[in-house]
Amino acid sequence: MVKIRIDDRELEVQEGITIFNAASEAGIPIPHFCYHPAFVPEGTCRMCLVEIEGVPKLELACSTVVRDGMIVSTQSDRVRDGRKGVLEFLLAEHPLDCPICDQAGDCKLQDYYEDYGLYESQFSEVKDKHDKKVDLGKHLIHDQERCVLCRRCVRFLCEVTGTEDLGVFERGSHTEVNLYLDNQVDNNYSGNLAQICPVGAITDKDFRFQTRSWFLEEAESICPLCSRGCSIQIGYHPGFSRFSLPKRVYRIRAKTNETVNGYWICDLGRYGYRYLDENRATNLKARDSQSRIQWDAAVTLLSEKIKRLYYMKRTSRITVILNSALTNEELYLAGKIFQKDLTDVNIFFADAAPESGDDVLLTSERTPNRRGALELGFDLKPVDMDILSSQTDLVIIFGTHILETHSLSDLSNAMENIPAKFVLAPHTSDLDPMVDMVLPSTHIAEKAGSLTNIDGLVQSFQSALHPLGESQAEWQVLVDLGKELAINFKFYGQFSNPKNINREMGKEVPFFGK
Amino acid sequence: MSEKQLSKLFGLENSHQIDVYIEQDGYRAVKKALSELTPETILDLVKAANLRGRGGAGFPAGIKWGFVPKGVDKPKYLCVNADEGEPGTIKDRYLMTNVPHLLLEGIIITCYCVGIHVAYIYIRGEYEMVAQRLEQAIAEAHAQGYLGNNILESGFDLEVYVHRGAGAYICGEETALLESLEGKRGNPRLKPPFPASIGLFQCPTVINNVETLANVPSIILKGAGWFCQQGLPKDGGTRLFGVSGMVQKPGVYELPTGSNLRDLIFQHAGGMKEGKRLKAVIPGGMSSPVLKADEIDIPLDGDSLMEAKSMLGSGAVIVIDEETSMLDVLKIITDFYSHESCGQCTPCRVGNPWIRKIVHRLCQGIGGPDDIDNVRRLADNIMGKTLCPLGDAAAMPILSLTEKFREELITSLNERRQES
Repeated sequence: MVKIRIDDRELEVQEGITIFNAASEAGIPIPHFCYHPAFVPEGTCRMCLVEIEGVPKLELACSTVVRDGMIVSTQSDRVRDGRKGVLEFLLAEHPLDCPICDQAGDCKLQDYYEDYGLYESQFSEVKDKHDKKVDLGKHLIHDQERCVLCRRCVRFLCEVTGTEDLGVFERGSHTEVNLYLDNQVDNNYSGNLAQICPVGAITDKDFRFQTRSWFLEEAESICPLCSRGCSIQIGYHPGFSRFSLPKRVYRIRAKTNETVNGYWICDLGRYGYRYLDENRATNLKARDSQSRIQWDAAVTLLSEKIKRLYYMKRTSRITVILNSALTNEELYLAGKIFQKDLTDVNIFFADAAPESGDDVLLTSERTPNRRGALELGFDLKPVDMDILSSQTDLVIIFGTHILETHSLSDLSNAMENIPAKFVLAPHTSDLDPMVDMVLPSTHIAEKAGSLTNIDGLVQSFQSALHPLGESQAEWQVLVDLGKELAINFKFYGQFSNPKNINREMGKEVPFFGK
Repeated sequence: MSEKQLSKLFGLENSHQIDVYIEQDGYRAVKKALSELTPETILDLVKAANLRGRGGAGFPAGIKWGFVPKGVDKPKYLCVNADEGEPGTIKDRYLMTNVPHLLLEGIIITCYCVGIHVAYIYIRGEYEMVAQRLEQAIAEAHAQGYLGNNILESGFDLEVYVHRGAGAYICGEETALLESLEGKRGNPRLKPPFPASIGLFQCPTVINNVETLANVPSIILKGAGWFCQQGLPKDGGTRLFGVSGMVQKPGVYELPTGSNLRDLIFQHAGGMKEGKRLKAVIPGGMSSPVLKADEIDIPLDGDSLMEAKSMLGSGAVIVIDEETSMLDVLKIITDFYSHESCGQCTPCRVGNPWIRKIVHRLCQGIGGPDDIDNVRRLADNIMGKTLCPLGDAAAMPILSLTEKFREELITSLNERRQES
């Protein structure tokens, strides 16, 4: 440990770290463009200038290593003037097209101008022209006029994906980031470039001109599209009171999580946000009822049908199709109801089929909680069509993944003679016409709970979005069902949120009690 | 009294050939170093001789060699900076053209001293003939056992390669040179680490200018004391000054370090061209701050020029006469640096072209004294804030020229405004 002083703060910091990191740890902000914690400092933007006592020149915070007794000023007049000069250079040739720039409101150039600029422009020359719409690949557009040449994108493609699609070309004022020959940025991590671009140079085709960043709220969740369990930040529009919007979620971005995903997420997770809004099941639907049906009536009905079989000791005629996109808490409750309260229930799992993964983040398992299901003792048996078609009097299907592994006609034939059929799913699907009742459920982003990733890391999360329409979280439906069945009313009566389910689960399953 | 060491064979027929060179006592220094001296003694000698770098920064060569870590389990390299790009500088071309073997001798002794077995000569791309001469010299030296394995039966091995640049001024900056030599875009590296510990291919590397190395053989043969007597005690030896501009006899002159600038121009270079009057001198390559006619009574050594707020740089003396418009000089300076900025760091990449735009406008008679103030402000914002010395190299001449010739710049501007 070494002792240093930054501004008026005496700090004890680890030997060998940079001034920038020492300041960050102490919560002292230092403006920067090229510095990114994932990469080795390059020191090219020159914005992070600081003054070190006894050193004649201003030095870079991002690359200067602390020394014992170092006295650093981040706010002296010299520092502020130096940064102002650098910012003035960055803005001199900048197109200042903030009104049509997606980054506006979320832009380091704008932020730092508030902090260090506020000068009257002395640039009266004709600005250089560069290409404003370079198509970089399937997700990205590059505006070379807005580019500050921080090289974050170039370094990302060298150091993270290793694809090296972008390079720096020409020199001096002609310097530009561009594609090598016939390359395209079309790897599964390309969307990160739009996120790490500190200005509006690389924008996301999907997000371009869709909304303004200041309308968006951001909330955290966990990506459910593979078993890595990456932390994500969901950008959604809370809406206006006087007119409706075509969608709610505008983007998903990586949230820094050093133990799981670092600073990145894959494009599958980033651009998969549409599942949150599109084809959603938002209302309860009963096939033989003209009038609207309410949740309590639906749960009561389901419970009555289960109870009838229970009293007739025919629970072996019940089939439940679960999935491993359910949270640990939900799977725990499902196990309680369908394995303990009721016995002999046929339990199957229908999940998204595995696909090839990569060695960055994406796993071949395309479901977020397989490991959790295994830890809870489920054997994740695939659906047995014989049992479904000839030994089932009541079926409850969670989710719609069964459609990916079985043909519609097979399913329809198998389900034809089942007297009671329920679907509890976040999306409408071809299952809906086959069943008696469709119960709209939520997505991971709309509920709280925990998921166990491929490495056995249990990550809990809060709900990021309100459930859409009448949809309800599965844990809530299961708690209500448990209470309604009244086989063990007291047990389900104690649960008002996933947290207390989790506590109970931890007592019972040592893996979750850690 | 000093004697010419570097240029004494200039003009001798076929001085670039090894036989002629050996006839003139060539390769004696290598023989002496390899057979009589240990690497440690050579290092002490060069340190005692106060041989300062001839490339521009003037860093003492012996101290630089001493920075190379000992006992590292990695190869070490010597990179000879022959990317002579500083406008006005022509000395290394003369050296390599006339006495390539003198450079090779310096390289062999330096490598022996530091424990290096591979040396690269990074030569500017435009010097095609010179590069061929070097290749030929290397082949000759190989044939006679001065290069290759077991040089002169000493057990010391050395290979020397010539690498031609592709025309970028920035590749004369030592770390950009390394990047370029590694096959990458020639962008300067962030320092530290310094090349002495992490240089070419991540290995310890010595980078010296051609003329610096060409001084090593005479130090070996004649000693450190003699070398210091040739120049100044703290800045030994002679220097090659390349004089260009409005003089009678432009060319390369070898004079003791500390010689008078006025003497160089008016005696050695024959004075001003007929009918011309001296206005200003750029004393050490284009990036050195300009001196006015009344400031040239000054010894040509690093310390004296620094005292005069200029620099000795590469010893390229550019002589400007009364009829040359300083606004045009400013235009040439800003054109050059704006064209040669590598584009990596903000102040240099944006600042230089911005200044250039203003100066071009002023040359057309559009603008006013405020613009000159703005140019100074921008140069000041570049100064000291860039990743490599190119920023300072661009800012220094602009700051000095706009300070010392402000009145003239305004007058030229007004004249051009009336013309247009």
